[in-house]
Amino acid sequence: MSTSWQMRNTEQKGLNHELLALTANRHGNLLASWLNPLDGRQLFLELEVSNGSFPSLASVMPEVAWDEREINDLFGWIPTGHPDLRPLVRTERWPQGFFPLRSLSEPPNWRDVEPDLPSLKVEGEGVTIMKVGPTHAGVIESGHFVFSLMGENVLYLDAHLFQNHRGIEALLETKSVNEVAPLVARVCAADTVSNQTNWALAVEQLAGFAQPPGLVRKRIILLEAERILSHLNDLAQIPAGVGFQVAHQRALAMKESWQRSLKSLYGHRFLFDTVLPGWARSAPSEAVLDAVGKLRSLWVPWRQLVRGHHGFRNRIKGVGVTPLERVVRLGAQGVAARAAGKPFDARQSLPWYRETFQGAVTQGSGDVGARFRVRLEEVEAAMQLIEEAAVRLRETDCQEEEFSLPRELSGRAVTFTESPHGMNVHDVTVAEGRISRYHIRSGTYRNWPLLAQAVAGNAVADFPLINKSFELCYSCNDR
Amino acid sequence: MSKSIRALHIRHVDAGSCNGCEQELTALTSGYYDIQRHGIDLVASPRHADALLVTGPVTDTMALAVKKVWEAIPSPKLRIAFGDCALGCGVFQNGYASEGGVKEADLEIPGCPPEPEMALPILRDWMRTHRSGQKAYSEIAPDSQSAV
Ligand code: SF4
Repeated sequence: MSTSWQMRNTEQKGLNHELLALTANRHGNLLASWLNPLDGRQLFLELEVSNGSFPSLASVMPEVAWDEREINDLFGWIPTGHPDLRPLVRTERWPQGFFPLRSLSEPPNWRDVEPDLPSLKVEGEGVTIMKVGPTHAGVIESGHFVFSLMGENVLYLDAHLFQNHRGIEALLETKSVNEVAPLVARVCAADTVSNQTNWALAVEQLAGFAQPPGLVRKRIILLEAERILSHLNDLAQIPAGVGFQVAHQRALAMKESWQRSLKSLYGHRFLFDTVLPGWARSAPSEAVLDAVGKLRSLWVPWRQLVRGHHGFRNRIKGVGVTPLERVVRLGAQGVAARAAGKPFDARQSLPWYRETFQGAVTQGSGDVGARFRVRLEEVEAAMQLIEEAAVRLRETDCQEEEFSLPRELSGRAVTFTESPHGMNVHDVTVAEGRISRYHIRSGTYRNWPLLAQAVAGNAVADFPLINKSFELCYSCNDR
Repeated sequence: MSKSIRALHIRHVDAGSCNGCEQELTALTSGYYDIQRHGIDLVASPRHADALLVTGPVTDTMALAVKKVWEAIPSPKLRIAFGDCALGCGVFQNGYASEGGVKEADLEIPGCPPEPEMALPILRDWMRTHRSGQKAYSEIAPDSQSAV
């Protein structure tokens, strides 16, 4: 049994298939889902937990190390043979025997102790330990980082996240299908459209609803508008990391201008509540095209500014390098993976995107500079995708088939989109109109372990720069 | 010695936000909204702050950190709840690891997230009422000593 679980999963990895999600349900099943990126087909693997444990895959597939620790923390099922079973989500404050995804219970009586967890550090003469967080000097999300330093150089970084863990999956599992959308839209402000779309796709798949072309185009515009917003934010932060203030401030101004356009087109500066099952908010094509034109007029000179600045280009070269082999081993996603040369972008595996999507943007050097350039190219591609979709939308028949939510919706669907932070996956099980399992595997989740490794070997003063070049979220990671 | 003050220095702590509130808070300091113009700034250390601003529903893991930051801010001081989650009316309210917002906020800035255009007048009005420079220090901020 155990070898076959390992074999079946490593076989998928060996075929260069992408792991969509590895999770469990409260009936005692492990659920792995895989994607063949070439034809978009999915493969589902299951294993029954026996005697409260299951064979760990982490030693042969390090990318699931966190997923298995999470199952251990939230379901209480032990991955036997896992190389590092420290708590990931739980803290010292969680009462023993409280496994929120195994049995839905009342909020527990937290233990009256500090939440700190044991950290991994390097020991030896001359090694300094530097702790940062969970609160930070700037306006950012909460996370706790333990650096082992030798002089200025980082030997090892242990990232303790999950400070923002609210219990969103368990909360979703108390909802009926028509209560899900507002919550899903707020799992992560940076990837909200992607999350909303995943939920909509899940319901539509279970209801057997085929998305009409107009709906698809509206969603493509929203998803690409979100990509632009998030990338503009990240493109603004990277120059800030090296003190290139002009580029930083001007990119922030572009972001603000884009958010004002989104507000006037769609009513929300982050596009919350714009996608529902069978529906997407739409704006007049002319207004959308005008907004993109306005953005371009700011973008072109800004791009020239950053491209022409030799000091900046040199400064972001060779810093925070992630070799392709490591990217593949850790299953990294999104910009970080493509910057190291992994040619995967989930849009290519979605039939409804194929009409317009030009293919994954890749670089080879896997450094801060490569992650910066991938975003540059992706912003430009996104502007084009929006323009194409807006033009086609004008030609679409506006009388499209309406969607009505079936009352007793049941079944399981695994849906995904390419969020600004990489492939974002929802594994959803519905029973008679109520959520019985809702797992969210964000793009960011696979990249945190990669970031920690990318920092080792660099000067600690470059951590902010390297960190910003990944710009990983905490909220959808911690849930 | 004159007791009048005209500034409000804020220390921000994220306690389970979706990052929408953080982004809008940052936008407030940008050239477009420029809260510094009204005497308000975000500072890096609680020791330099007059106020604690919390985003998110206060997760169990962050609750102690929020309390410690509050205790590190010199009195008189105030609590600001920024965004519906911190106000106790957000979508994560009933998560098992969520405390359901900031208790006893002195100033509430609603919205999901609060748009800078909405948040700015609330802060400006507060400054006009409490920091006009005329009043004695002891009158301008409630002596909020209890823990968050
Ligand atoms: S109030 Fe809204 S924007 Fe702010 S943290 Fe909560 S969900 Fe996010």
